[in-house]
Amino acid sequence: MLDRMLAQRDLFTLVGELARKRRIIGPVRRENHFFYEEVADVGTLDLSFNYCVYGPRAFLFPPTETLFTFNRFDHTFTAKPVLDVRPMAFVGVHPCDIHAIRLLDRVFEQDHRDAHYLARRSHTLIVGVDCRTPCTEGVFCADMGTHSAIEGFDVMLYPLHRDGRDDTTFGVMFGSDAGRDWILYSRRGAIPTAADERAFEQYEREKAAAFPRHLRMHANDLPELLDRSYDSLLWEATARRCYSCGSCNLSCPTCYCFNIYDESDLSGTTGRRERTWDGCHLKNFAEVAGGHNFRPRAASRLRHRIYRKAKWVRQRTGLAGCVGCARCDRACTAKINSVEIYNQLAEEA
Amino acid sequence: MSGRRSSTILHEPPPRASSAHESSLYIPQPARIIRITPLTEMEKLFELGFLDGSRLNQQPGQFVQVSMLGVGECPISICSSPTRPDTFELCIRRVGSVTNRLHELQEKDTIGIRGPLGHGFDTHEMHGKDILMIAGGLGMAPLRSLIQYILDERPRFGQFHLLYGAREPKELLFKDDLLRWRESKDVNLAITVDRPDPQWRGKVGVVTTLFKDLSKLNPDQTVVVIVGPPVMFKFVVIEVLARRIPQGNIYCSLERRMKCGVGKCGHCQANHVYVCIDGPVFKYGQLKGMREAVE
Ligand SMILES: Cc1cc2nc3c(=O)[nH]c(=O)nc-3n(C[C@H](O)[C@H](O)[C@H](O)COP(=O)(O)OP(=O)(O)OC[C@H]3O[C@@H](n4cnc5c(N)ncnc54)[C@H](O)[C@@H]3O)c2cc1C
Ligand code: SF4
Ligand code: FES
Repeated sequence: MLDRMLAQRDLFTLVGELARKRRIIGPVRRENHFFYEEVADVGTLDLSFNYCVYGPRAFLFPPTETLFTFNRFDHTFTAKPVLDVRPMAFVGVHPCDIHAIRLLDRVFEQDHRDAHYLARRSHTLIVGVDCRTPCTEGVFCADMGTHSAIEGFDVMLYPLHRDGRDDTTFGVMFGSDAGRDWILYSRRGAIPTAADERAFEQYEREKAAAFPRHLRMHANDLPELLDRSYDSLLWEATARRCYSCGSCNLSCPTCYCFNIYDESDLSGTTGRRERTWDGCHLKNFAEVAGGHNFRPRAASRLRHRIYRKAKWVRQRTGLAGCVGCARCDRACTAKINSVEIYNQLAEEA
Repeated sequence: MSGRRSSTILHEPPPRASSAHESSLYIPQPARIIRITPLTEMEKLFELGFLDGSRLNQQPGQFVQVSMLGVGECPISICSSPTRPDTFELCIRRVGSVTNRLHELQEKDTIGIRGPLGHGFDTHEMHGKDILMIAGGLGMAPLRSLIQYILDERPRFGQFHLLYGAREPKELLFKDDLLRWRESKDVNLAITVDRPDPQWRGKVGVVTTLFKDLSKLNPDQTVVVIVGPPVMFKFVVIEVLARRIPQGNIYCSLERRMKCGVGKCGHCQANHVYVCIDGPVFKYGQLKGMREAVE
């Protein structure tokens, strides 16, 4: 069931109004690729983007951020947390990335609440844009069940009628009160008619047919497949090509590992503790003082990443650790391909 | 995994709102160094108390993140028992940037502490049981908390055997404690070193050699605690399993690289486990399916 019909130009007017209260982040074209960027002029957003090279996670969990500032004096110190509560709106998030954000939400909320992530997240409105067809070759979101989203957004837009870049009509679904209020308050758009609902059903049918499957097994069976594959020679054979560059981690919308370090002035009296993205494919990720490394080989690190994405994260959070966006596969300098790894493991098992 | 559902009902609320006033997990609390006792060339014992007078309220086996602001943070086991709650103690070996700077500090200086963190020993499960404890090297530090606890609550426990191995006599930690424990009837202490010096009058050999003098264990009545370097762990487990101790009665403590200490940063992960929140104390039975824990 749709909640509203909205023409693209009305949507942009609404986003323009939103921009008075929130930083707007959305897909912007840079030569042949799209990136999530903060835009000053909503006209630079392009909602017909194929895919963004990186997911929007950098705006919720920045590549580096200050956790707190400190001040040392007279045998004691004070430390002040730095929390970013500036309101944001992500406009134009595909379902896979919505699933990725849900995972980050869960991770930073469970066991111990991470106020730094949650401050940004709880001030973020998410406007999704559904994908009618795969955004590019090699994505396996349909295999992972992440090519559609039923939650994790405030508003979802379905591009039902598309007559060129500037003339799309969206079917709108509300995911939260905030999303509903934003759309309905303006009185723009229209109540969906029976014909709109039929168009939506047709859209869904076409969509179901448009996404090919790439995995030779059901995603739910991946954990069990991996259970049988710990000692496979494939890890060593595949990782022989790995440069341990971490591009896979960098491009992943669900990677959330980080490092913590201090920056201080020369006297050491004031400074800040920062965190920065880290990646489990980097050589020293599991190395301790004295030089012992718990995952010294590229093969053990590759296995760690794949197990984490396809099994352990799900085990811990109940949500998929891999959303099938294939960004790691596209980013990999050595053309290591996760779908290929799964399918080869399935063949062995 | 979700299939499509045509409905606009909210399924799961977005994360609870955070305000600019919410406190951060990563903020350390100031703690004053009350006393520094050099233990060996490499290790010093720091006795600490929070500036605001609060108590640590730790479980034996838990750890804290120690901050040298401007340098960094590192995980250190709490080596004193909650039964002595007014202050707490850390035994710190100098090996790198943070620990070296800690060794330069003086009494009355202030450091930052986050914690207690992690999952310690389940002392209730140990009540009424005989205890066999095996410490190797720096593994003595986390165990000292449990040793003090047992000695302070002595009537709750059965027999108490403590086996301690170090590479050299000069590396033995807590020598004052060892002298006291050796005289005490409350604990049956045996010590060995790999490489004796000319003054050494005690036993020589790896810690497993102490098992032959051990009185007979009652498998179901005995809890075994092993903390030491991974090689030691492997050989000791074999001795213990050979004495038919059930895997659920064997405790160990793992060490990993740690950054956050609160289950987020991923550094301490060993297979599916986050050592910082699921451990560092584990039962041997839990390590099954955790190949990285013992390899
Ligand atoms: C649960 C736990 C309990 C520990 N208890 C003690 C103890 O009681 N006494 C003691 O002397 N040491 C203990 N260690 C080891 C101690 O944490 C390291 O020696 C220390 O982190 C080295 O830090 P550094 O900055 O001096 O060295 P650097 O080599 O400069 O290390 C830089 C950073 O890497 C990380 N790191 C390096 N080595 C380790 C390591 N072994 N474990 C975890 N993180 C590491 C830390 O974040 C550290 O700050 C414990 C480690 C863990 C995980
Ligand atoms: S991107 Fe490819 S080459 Fe680089 S670390 Fe990841 S798997 Fe290895
Ligand atoms: S130390 Fe960060 S997850 Fe355990």
